[in-house]
Amino acid sequence: MLMALDVVAPALSGAIQGAVYGLLGLGLVLLYKSNRVFNFAQAEFGTSAAFAVLFADNGTGPLPNLPLPLAVVFGLLVATGLGLLTERLVVRPLFSAPKVTLVVATAGVTLLLISVQGFLAGAEPSVLQPLFAGDVFDTGSVRVTRQQLVIVLVLVVLAAASALFFSRTRTGTAIIAVSQEPTATSLVGISVTRTSSLTWGLAGLLGGIAGILLSGSTGFVSPGSLTGLALIPAFTAAVFGGITSLPGAFLGGVVIGVVEALAQSNIPKDVLPGSGRVVLFVALLSVLLIRPAGLLGKEA
Amino acid sequence: MSLLEVEGLRTGYGALPVLQGISFSVEEGETAVIFGLNGAGKTTTVNCLAGVLPVWGGEVRFDGKKISGKDAPGIVRAGVALSPEGRRVWPGLSVLKNLELGAWVRKDRHEVAGTIAQVFGYFPRLDERKDQLAGTLSGGEQQMLAIGRAIMSRPRLLMIDEASLGLSPKLAQTVFQVVSQINDDGTTVIIVEQNVGVLPYADQALIMEKGALTFDGRGAELEESGELRRTYLGEAAAAAH
Repeated sequence: MLMALDVVAPALSGAIQGAVYGLLGLGLVLLYKSNRVFNFAQAEFGTSAAFAVLFADNGTGPLPNLPLPLAVVFGLLVATGLGLLTERLVVRPLFSAPKVTLVVATAGVTLLLISVQGFLAGAEPSVLQPLFAGDVFDTGSVRVTRQQLVIVLVLVVLAAASALFFSRTRTGTAIIAVSQEPTATSLVGISVTRTSSLTWGLAGLLGGIAGILLSGSTGFVSPGSLTGLALIPAFTAAVFGGITSLPGAFLGGVVIGVVEALAQSNIPKDVLPGSGRVVLFVALLSVLLIRPAGLLGKEA
Repeated sequence: MSLLEVEGLRTGYGALPVLQGISFSVEEGETAVIFGLNGAGKTTTVNCLAGVLPVWGGEVRFDGKKISGKDAPGIVRAGVALSPEGRRVWPGLSVLKNLELGAWVRKDRHEVAGTIAQVFGYFPRLDERKDQLAGTLSGGEQQMLAIGRAIMSRPRLLMIDEASLGLSPKLAQTVFQVVSQINDDGTTVIIVEQNVGVLPYADQALIMEKGALTFDGRGAELEESGELRRTYLGEAAAAAH
């Protein structure tokens, strides 16, 4: 029976897909670690960045026709700007409000961004070329593209860099301090508002990187596409890895991707429709029951 | 010129006024103690001086320069630090990280280690627990850490809110002695207290009631006046004494 299972190819493709979840999960963990907020708009920072790359690359509207590398930079700037704007216009006025209010507000930002994307680009999916064309290898049953390899490498680098940022730098420590005791933080001279802006700007940038790489990998972008494709698995990955652990988001993403792909490949649709997501949630509940802080988390 | 001059200070929470326009000054190198019952406005006063609460009216000058209107980081940079009520240490950071962050505004980064050593000199217990998470410290140790963190910015004026709250009488005396030592080393101190055990360390004593000052004099004067007895036990007890 075991020999009949399809393991290697789905595990590999799942790990790569999981890297995308992890990439998006990094931004979620960053904001939860610093603000104790689940940011529902994280995926749409990414979709907006992908649209910005598309528009800049095509020279849509008032934009000049930029070469792809510059279009990518433009896309990342748009995502960072959206993070900063969300902080300034939505998060900061709600600093003293209950966290649940802030979470609902980020869901509102998601809906707004999806509407703006639909207004500018229409509802139909737009084709987005991968940043890195070609395959690393293709054995027929297993295929890994350069774009996918880049996604995995970027995730590893960003997870390690983010973890070092929080454990070794003053600014990283200050962001954690704000999340634990904002009043005490301002009493030692740290600007809580500036720290909040920095965090949301970084989250926007991380979302932008995830969005551009994922949309390039799938070959299309449409309004709300990243929310539909990756937000729920990214949340699951972040919680699975330990919601305050940045390396945990990486590990959680890969595990979630593999579990999802194995289930999709090995459980027939007529037996369990949507088996990937079902197994994913069962796995998540199991981890939370056995280890509530997640795989690498230290705080329950 | 006094180090701290407060004139007609008014503030409150939301639309609710608390301070009714208080005025006092503190001389450089002295220890001032603010006494009063719960709700008298003591914490509101130091929070307003530290920039945590906005100034509704009046003026605060530090070393002759106006600091009212500055935010909390601006006031720390001016040389005023507050060890807040409830300690408010960062529970998920180590003792050492708490102290290092306390030095955030300092430009002389190479001298921060010297100040940490000085804090460990005042509170040897913190040295023993420097790698421990602050949230796992006892109440007394957290109080020491909160005071130590405030010292890390090398303030000229250190304010400590409820230094002895929740501490045993013996531990409270230890904290008062260290604060006295900090004062001897050149830092002007304001202590907000309900514990009269701090009185021997007070050069200046203030009593607050209902958002106003009812006594402002020397510490020795307060001991003799019976004002504390009236504040804490009421008119009848003061008369009987």
